[in-house]
Amino acid sequence: MLLAPLVARLRSIVGVEGVIDRPEALLVYECDGYTLERAAPEVVVLPRTPAEVASALRLLAAERIAFVPRGAGTGLSGGTLPVGAPVMICTSRMQRIEAIDVANRRVVAQAGVVNQWVSNAVRAHGLCYAPDPSSQPACTIGGNVAENSGGPHTLKYGVTTNHVLGVELALPSGELVALGGAVEDRPGYDLVGLVVGSEGTFGIVTRATLRLVRLPQAYRTFLAVFDSVEAASEAVSGIIGAGLVPAALEMMDQLIIQALEAAFHVGLPTDAQAVLLIELDGPVAGLDAQSQRVEAVCRSNGARELRVARDDAERATLWKCRKRAFGAIGRLAPNYCTQDGVVPRTRVPDILRAIGAAAARHRLRVANVFHAGDGNIHPILLFDERDRDEVARVLAAGREILEACVALGGSITGEHGIGVEKIDQVPLLFGPDDLRAMMRLRAVFDPEGRANPHKIFPDAKVCVETRAPRRQVAL
Amino acid sequence: MSAWAEIVGATHARPGGPGDAVDGLVPRWVVSPGSVAEVQGCVRAAAAGGLALVASGRGAHLDVGAAPHRLDVLLRLDRLGRVLDHQAHDMTVTLEAGCPLSLVADTLARAGQWLPLDPPRPATTTVGGLLAANLAGPLRTSQGRARDLLLGIRVVGSDGCVVVGGGRVVKNVAGYDLPKMHVGALGTLGVIVEATFKIRPRPEREEAVVVACPTASAAADAGLAILDGGVPPLWLEVTGPGELAEGPGCGAAAVVGLGGLVEEVDAGRELVREVASRRGLRTTIVSDGAALRGRLADFSVAPAAGVLRAATLPTEVGPVVETTVAAARETGVDVRCLADLASGIVRIAVAEATALPVLLKILRPALERDGGSVVLERSQGAVKAGLDVWGDPGPGMELMRRLKVTFDPSGIFAPGRFVGGL
Repeated sequence: MLLAPLVARLRSIVGVEGVIDRPEALLVYECDGYTLERAAPEVVVLPRTPAEVASALRLLAAERIAFVPRGAGTGLSGGTLPVGAPVMICTSRMQRIEAIDVANRRVVAQAGVVNQWVSNAVRAHGLCYAPDPSSQPACTIGGNVAENSGGPHTLKYGVTTNHVLGVELALPSGELVALGGAVEDRPGYDLVGLVVGSEGTFGIVTRATLRLVRLPQAYRTFLAVFDSVEAASEAVSGIIGAGLVPAALEMMDQLIIQALEAAFHVGLPTDAQAVLLIELDGPVAGLDAQSQRVEAVCRSNGARELRVARDDAERATLWKCRKRAFGAIGRLAPNYCTQDGVVPRTRVPDILRAIGAAAARHRLRVANVFHAGDGNIHPILLFDERDRDEVARVLAAGREILEACVALGGSITGEHGIGVEKIDQVPLLFGPDDLRAMMRLRAVFDPEGRANPHKIFPDAKVCVETRAPRRQVAL
Repeated sequence: MSAWAEIVGATHARPGGPGDAVDGLVPRWVVSPGSVAEVQGCVRAAAAGGLALVASGRGAHLDVGAAPHRLDVLLRLDRLGRVLDHQAHDMTVTLEAGCPLSLVADTLARAGQWLPLDPPRPATTTVGGLLAANLAGPLRTSQGRARDLLLGIRVVGSDGCVVVGGGRVVKNVAGYDLPKMHVGALGTLGVIVEATFKIRPRPEREEAVVVACPTASAAADAGLAILDGGVPPLWLEVTGPGELAEGPGCGAAAVVGLGGLVEEVDAGRELVREVASRRGLRTTIVSDGAALRGRLADFSVAPAAGVLRAATLPTEVGPVVETTVAAARETGVDVRCLADLASGIVRIAVAEATALPVLLKILRPALERDGGSVVLERSQGAVKAGLDVWGDPGPGMELMRRLKVTFDPSGIFAPGRFVGGL
């Protein structure tokens, strides 16, 4: 238990309303988007500025207390689960976009700024912030930096690390250090590149300097309908093989199509086995020629129908379906667990077969909606939390799917991170020497191991009290 | 000598000579391992003897960085020169560190693909050198840098163990991004032995348009308008006065590379012409855009006493070039300038060594004040003596020092070549 004087001192730093320690108010913070494990922090601290983050961390450093950083809590791997860390530092009150440089396409945003707000703030200038995770109306820049978040449009535009030029990091010692910045190529090691994706284990990112991209002149958005998942997968390979780089190339299977149609009534073909959502963007000039190639590849791979969004409204509808797919899952089952694996893109048919087999073996229903162009799969395992046996089967099937990804030459996470969820699978990818190197890297930033402890590394896993998951709020 | 011969075989170890010198420092031995296991053996031997080791591919970029404090072993990796795995449909390629980029290019071209990184001297630039020195060329404008394309890496660490970071798939956030640690680290944290990259389809066409401009500022201004015009160029360089035979005569120029489908190139050319004519500027079409790009990429290895590399914001590129040219004129020195506008990188080739400290003194304080930098990118070792090659790495220096001590505790990897004497 934390001492009352410490909590009082935290209050003196962040204000009375910035410290939460009533047990009922802490319930909100006991898990993120990964709900299978839960643990409440003893106290949640909500700083208003980077300086307050630093002050709070200095206080914790003096007392050698561990902490967990948290943004909006939309993470999907339990990265914000407080394990062996009594204090949670939540960046959600640090919401200022501090600078917009249109001519140089730079933005400086505090950690708690919501991803979507950045693009909203610069859209009038014809710019946007490219990484677009499905949770973008809620997730924060700080969380995106911690997880190196992706999204559908990363196929062409890259993930978070390709768009972060600088970060300000509050080290566990309480020191604020500015790494990188608006100007590229500062001499020295790529510390910014190391901090991005470090899952909050190096400290707390308080600000980030982001690169913006110009909005494309035009889009071509297609919905291609297939009678088999294999045919759709072949079309994906065909499009990539034809030398095209679509802005997005997403696949949805029948279960998802049916759920989306039930939720949104947009005329999706509920008898189709798979649909591809394909988006080309860029200068108007090349789009027709590229569209013809996409159409030809889809047709030659047996697409029975190819719809093209005729205007912005139709494009928006198609994307609404894709981005709210997880919300529509609520119609299929009381609970779900989303996996996040990666395979070489030509192995998508193989991994889909492996997912189907795992589902059959464990008597589970699994829906698939994922970034096919990147080979980044997101099988959604449906279950009812009241059925403890089914919960166990979900966990077992999830493990088997990730093992299959690795066996196919892939990875156990493409954009959700290791967190607590995938700790047991880390040794599938990395040997003792690799993990030792990573732990030594961590100690460069956090020698005492107080920043988000018991994450990522297998040795670090301690027993968490796993409580019965409750019904999830759909994103 | 026999100890090295035991590791790599007698024909692959020899005493160093003047031709092996790194910044004037002649290594005692030149050792060429033929496998990763032999690299491990060499690193272990160096560590055991407290010897300083500089890894090299074909020696094309050893003039980058500060002079090493010590040099015992030059570790030549050119025998590790294979393309290990090209997955054309997955768009990935796995390469040994000593593989030259020209071989990579030939291999990928057969599938209509490329690794879109175009440093100088592609025939003698190896994958390890590309990463360690973080080399880039004009393609950076649209394709990013090595860090943006690198998926995975294998590195021999100071304890001789092979460490794997990243993987072979195009999207991967498992564990820390260890590959980033070694990009641009100039071999000071380990010896890179293998790397996997994502690759891209090669544009079907590539041409260039030269916009002749009266001043570098005018060229930068036109360039920024082109970058904003909705048809993204494949590359865009601003050249200082007198740099280019094509088009501008003795003035400056914005040189715009256009790539992609015929339609895209046509649209790009129209955009450039429109931006130029609005400003009353003359344009010249260069049909072999790739050849011109190659020449521009070689800018920093053309004969010069030294090449400075200034980093600033894109909007400051014009003023930085103007300041440089004016300062050079005042001191009676010959300089040539080439800037990658979108990334804000200005290269300044200086004809006389005595002018380098003068220009550093003028440019560095102003640029560093605004978060920029000026690095002496290349020069002969004798010229580097007494100069601060890297400048101020900023507030991250203490972490960098800790990183170096953590991964190279006894200082065997290229001691002194990197920032802050690391």
